[in-house]
Amino acid sequence: MITLRGLTKRFGSTVAVDALTVDIAPGRVTGFLGPNGAGKSTTMRMILGLDRPTAGQALVGGRAYRELRRPLHEVGALLDARAIHPARSGRAHLRAMAHSNGIPTRRVDEVLDTVGLDGRAAAKPGRTLSLGMGQRLGIAGALLGDPPVLMFDEPVNGLDPDGVRWVRQLMRSLADEGRTIFVSSHLMSEMQLTADQLVVIGRGRLLADEPIGEVIARSTVAVRVRSPHPDGLAALAARLTAAGASVEAADRNELTVTGATADQVGDLAHELGVRLHELSAHAASLEQAFMELTADSVEYAGGPTGGGAR
Amino acid sequence: MSTSTSTRHGAVAAEWTKLSSVRSTWWTALAGLLVMAASAGQLAIYAANDNTNDDPTDDRGIVTVGSVLIDSVELTQYVVLALGLLAITAEFTSGTIRTTLQCTPSRGRVLLAKAAVAGAVTFALGLLLGGVGALIARPVLGEWGSAPAADTIGDIVAVATYLALIGVLALGLGAALRSAVLTLTVLLATLMIVPLSLQEPDIDVLNRIADVFPGVAGGHFLAGDTEPYPRLVGLLLLAGWAAAALLLGRAALRRRDA
Repeated sequence: MITLRGLTKRFGSTVAVDALTVDIAPGRVTGFLGPNGAGKSTTMRMILGLDRPTAGQALVGGRAYRELRRPLHEVGALLDARAIHPARSGRAHLRAMAHSNGIPTRRVDEVLDTVGLDGRAAAKPGRTLSLGMGQRLGIAGALLGDPPVLMFDEPVNGLDPDGVRWVRQLMRSLADEGRTIFVSSHLMSEMQLTADQLVVIGRGRLLADEPIGEVIARSTVAVRVRSPHPDGLAALAARLTAAGASVEAADRNELTVTGATADQVGDLAHELGVRLHELSAHAASLEQAFMELTADSVEYAGGPTGGGAR
Repeated sequence: MSTSTSTRHGAVAAEWTKLSSVRSTWWTALAGLLVMAASAGQLAIYAANDNTNDDPTDDRGIVTVGSVLIDSVELTQYVVLALGLLAITAEFTSGTIRTTLQCTPSRGRVLLAKAAVAGAVTFALGLLLGGVGALIARPVLGEWGSAPAADTIGDIVAVATYLALIGVLALGLGAALRSAVLTLTVLLATLMIVPLSLQEPDIDVLNRIADVFPGVAGGHFLAGDTEPYPRLVGLLLLAGWAAAALLLGRAALRRRDA
């Protein structure tokens, strides 16, 4: 269980995280979404006691991180896969972590095995690790203390499709074991496949905290209509607009309708005698839902979101 | 064993693993050995030369091997203190400081563990350097050198103690300043440039101020001086600087976001 209460972080006059109050519950995967610069990483760093909150508090299992004696048994976290000494081997990196929390060194081999890093890869110096191997090493470090709470910042960055699927399954099984899984990602499609619950922030503010199905359901469903008869289509568009739907003409032969169901559009087309070649409802993806949610709070306008912000 | 002691041991073991698992540590130790060997050899040649050249005014007579060691430390320390320095600044450059603080959230505990490891390693290296320096200086000095066993061993231990405290001083400053280059600059100024500038005009009050600086205090400790203060005071002054640097480093780690 992660508890955020009025968590706030200001850098000078910039508010990075703005009075965030959220409970991240055990037994499910909670996705943490937000555009670049929304404050995701800052929030995670405050949970780990790395950044000091300007106000409010972040608690893990009811306690502040800085008060934890052997924190790797309480919280595992992957923050930055690049954060390994260029000359130190992955195994030595994990051994140092294990020592610090009184974890037996055989556990290092166990987690290396779990994340699929073999002996040769684990012996390589940090600078030679690919981003994907770095992610696996970071996940191994998070699992080291077998903690009930796990946080991952953009864990699938740099992983190949196999690796992405592996991370997805890992999170699922960790959540099924009753752990709290808090994972940030800019890949909405990934969240759609992995997360049970979504916490969405924009400009440091909480925009949504609800089951993933509700986020999607709340957003618009669009109906696509294609017809070989532009005139008939125009008539259909006029009737739909009159009925309060919003209609966009993709080209002469295609309309995108929102605010009306496929059934309603089909009935109307039948009534007008318009021949249709396609009538399809497009359930909004999480991507669309996310865009709608964060439309007003995108830090860097002018392009689609991507990349993890610091 | 209580949790508190075992986590402290764990933090120390972690720091030792980190320090010993990077090659730069061993290269630094090797560089220290080479610099010590070269300095001790060269200073021993100078000492012997002063006695045998045509100018009788610079005759030094018989010098102890220990005094050659102590003079050699003046240069060698800048290699050795890199061990304390890199133990912390490399964490800031590579970003592993976040992992370290995730493992051990108590900033004081992290710094103490680092100080224990850096201090022990530089002390051990100091003993080795002293031994190697003595082995080289003794034959080079030839008839102009003396090496009474007890005194030489005492000097070697003093050299190791001095290097350990300088290593911890570098560590604490590195934690406060974060950048290796900046820390090294401040150390050069504190250990050498500022006290030398103060001593240059040979004004009593300025000399007194210079005597408080860590390098000068350590020098009085190494030389076994009785003036301007007893040897032990020199040691305590140097230790005080190291402790103050650690406190400064802890305050910085606590206050700043990692």
